Amino acid sequence: MIQVQRNSSTTYDVRIKVVGLGGAGGNVLDRLLLDGLHDAELIAINTDAQALTASVVEQKVQIGRTTTRGLGAGGDPEIGYAAAEEGVEEIRRALDGAQLVFLCVGLGGGTGSGAARIIASLAREQKALVVAFATLPFAFEGRRRRGQADEALAALQRYSDVVIHFENDRMGDAVAPLAGIHEAFATADQTVSQSIRAIIRLMHQRGLVHIGFDEIVTALRGSGETGAHCVFGFGEADGDNRAHEALTRALKNPLMDKGRMLEDARNILVNVAGGPSITLNEVQILMEELNRHISDQTRLLFGAAVDPTLGQKISVTILSALQGAPAAAGPVAPRPAARVESTPVSVTPAPAPVTLAPVHEPMAIERTLEPVEPAIAARIVEPAVTTRIPEPVVVERTHEPVVAARIPEPEIVERIPEPEPEPAPRRVSRVRPVRELEPEPEPVYVEVPAPAPHAPTPVAAEATSPYVEPGPAPVPEHARGPKQSRPKPTLAKQEQMQFEPVTRGRFEKSEPTIVDGQDLDVPTFLRRNVKVK
Amino acid sequence: MARDSIVVGLEIGTSKICVVVGETRGDGTIRILGVGQAPSRGVRKGEIVDFETAGKCIREALVDAEEKSDVMIGSVYLGVTGGHIAGFNNRGAVNIPEDRDEICEEDFEDVQASAREVSIPAPNMFVHSLLQHYYVDGQDGVLNPIGMLGRKLEADFHIIHGVATRIKNSVRCVKEVGPEVLDVVYNPLATAQVLLDQNQKSLGALVVDFGGGTTDYLVYSDGAVQQSGSLAIGGDHITNDISLGLRIPMAKAERLKIEEGSVILGNARPGETIILKDETGFAGKEIEREMLNTIIHCRVRETFELLKKRLDDDGHLPFLGAGLMLTGGCSLIKGINHLAEEIFSMPVHLTHAQTVSGLTSAFENPQFSTAIGIIKYADAMQPERPSGFFGRMRKKFSFFGLF
Repeated sequence: MIQVQRNSSTTYDVRIKVVGLGGAGGNVLDRLLLDGLHDAELIAINTDAQALTASVVEQKVQIGRTTTRGLGAGGDPEIGYAAAEEGVEEIRRALDGAQLVFLCVGLGGGTGSGAARIIASLAREQKALVVAFATLPFAFEGRRRRGQADEALAALQRYSDVVIHFENDRMGDAVAPLAGIHEAFATADQTVSQSIRAIIRLMHQRGLVHIGFDEIVTALRGSGETGAHCVFGFGEADGDNRAHEALTRALKNPLMDKGRMLEDARNILVNVAGGPSITLNEVQILMEELNRHISDQTRLLFGAAVDPTLGQKISVTILSALQGAPAAAGPVAPRPAARVESTPVSVTPAPAPVTLAPVHEPMAIERTLEPVEPAIAARIVEPAVTTRIPEPVVVERTHEPVVAARIPEPEIVERIPEPEPEPAPRRVSRVRPVRELEPEPEPVYVEVPAPAPHAPTPVAAEATSPYVEPGPAPVPEHARGPKQSRPKPTLAKQEQMQFEPVTRGRFEKSEPTIVDGQDLDVPTFLRRNVKVK
Repeated sequence: MARDSIVVGLEIGTSKICVVVGETRGDGTIRILGVGQAPSRGVRKGEIVDFETAGKCIREALVDAEEKSDVMIGSVYLGVTGGHIAGFNNRGAVNIPEDRDEICEEDFEDVQASAREVSIPAPNMFVHSLLQHYYVDGQDGVLNPIGMLGRKLEADFHIIHGVATRIKNSVRCVKEVGPEVLDVVYNPLATAQVLLDQNQKSLGALVVDFGGGTTDYLVYSDGAVQQSGSLAIGGDHITNDISLGLRIPMAKAERLKIEEGSVILGNARPGETIILKDETGFAGKEIEREMLNTIIHCRVRETFELLKKRLDDDGHLPFLGAGLMLTGGCSLIKGINHLAEEIFSMPVHLTHAQTVSGLTSAFENPQFSTAIGIIKYADAMQPERPSGFFGRMRKKFSFFGLF
């Protein structure tokens, strides 16, 4: 699928079908049609014949003719499910040949909640990718409806490739408090319709920097989790300041919270499209401005396209998914904890590299983990601590805190033979593991025995040794040298040299204005290190 | 010629000295008869640093004003500012003597004196003590306690003080030129008088006068001054930043700031340049617009942020219903109101003197707000005037309007 899009210059051969299911889905379809969507087939599916008749969509599928007799599902998902089962053939026929199916559904009611998963699975049968747009009910619609919606959402997630869900409550926030309820619903429809159109356009556009379905999926990854929600913004503008305006409009979207939502997003997809007059610099300005709203860790999936139909306009599409709750509350916490405790078992085995991530560079961690084989670890540990410790855990424990593990291997290996003879004669019990270690080329294990001599008992030594600085006498000077000094260069922050002498210009001779310890007569851009040249 | 109701306001600004001659009328309006101004030299950050040069400039401005208004200037009200001037709130209290239980006018003076019994730095003097509220026997929010019965009169004052020698220096400098100085007025207080009407004062408003050498601010809330002060940062700093950042002379930087500068970032077309013409015939210098704007933006943003930090302490900021009134020469910088709006998160109005008539060109320019304000202040403060009952009533009201 993706390949097809990337390689072919005419991407219009992707058959897209947009399915509107239930009342809410039908509304979205109507909105889409009114907004002018021509690149996709629209299919309205409903149990309610009356609602179907009212819809302006051409292709309509009525499900549950006998189950509901043309009435609605009455808010009961079971009925919706039964109706969909009854209409499987018709739905299958309607979806025939689709490669990409957008399923718009309002969850919480009967038809939407009940039939969505069947339609999603039917679409999958056709080998189509399924992107579901689900709106969740307003809080005032009651808890029961919300429960139904949550259940249906969970089911839908199993059968769809991507689920984008919109909290109606959030969109309600965007509507002026005095606006009528129909406006609140209309805003919801409009947002869904906008995002569908934007995604379709993303896939159809021949980008200079292309964004394909894979990027879209990446950006939306995690949107299906509970508590997570989708961030979507779309803005279009023309005129002198169009880049800025378009971005501002995109950020104004109800799901955006003026760009504040973006700060927490991990993956953000941004597509900038414009007519032939779009300049690189405009894109630059826009992206710089956007960068102010996102954190440094965020992965930015960037796409740019020239679309002659846009004329003088620039359009910006921002798409992302926010995780519900921060995945790990204390990524840093495990480290200090590990220092204190004496039983290695409590060290979390699998997520260890993750918890380390903020402290070390990921690259470094990978490297330190790689060479360690459980077997070797076991061999070394055995003589000292015997069987108490499960091997894989020990591996991580022994080397994880050793900061010096980042040191390039060959250097350490060379030094090892030197310190060893010294501790050896002193404590016989310690010598053994060290000896065994000698043939090992691994830098990690070299570190472990070195501090060990301080420990009074083998067990305690095992627990504490990695953390005890080799400072005290027994370790020879040259052995200590690299260990202590190595971590420093990475940790210490080099102070920035101020090349330009502090200059106050015309205020050179006047009384200084000093507020909060800052000489305000010195140009702000110099004090704040803002680059102007 | 020397009519009783003619008041002259003199503002010694960092960028220009400005004299406004106004005629005050019985109904509280002011008619501007003439405005004299002269570029200022020898003034830095709102304070005179070169006595002689500043004196010359003051004379120039006075002569200019005399010519334009056809008035001999014998006395002026002088506006003062500077980073050394600060304000704080204090409460004064007096007990009403045993032999009477009605509060009368003399108690006012006592309570004001008692409010001034606070320690201000030794070299400082009081510039204003502005009444906020009265309390009679602990009863809150009394507007006019005269005639009320009570045992104890308390009053909250906003006290503005500054370094005595510096203020006296300004006075002396003017006196040496000729005219008498009737009173000194703290600039933002004067400015607020023309920018705010009674309604805005009670709603609450922040007046920011972003001038050439200083940025003065004053907070009105509940009809009384709550906070005031000056930050010795102004348009001069912006010019200086531009001059240093772009390596161009001050004069060019100043012109660039006025003609081309903006605080809005990302607005310039990338790579857009401004060509600085060189009078001597050599090739001009090209300046990137975004760079210019960045320099200005940094300074203005910082200044506003400093201001906000100062104002945040008292917690009036969220309750100012009338918003922020931005005036002074720097309020002419493009986009500055948007930046102010962003930082203070309240509506920002770029204003100029409202309740005056006469020379339109004078009062529509925010650079003259302060000088006109001085007249307005002076009008409200003027001693007894033979204008009958109405005038006396007005005086009483204006007294409360101001303080």
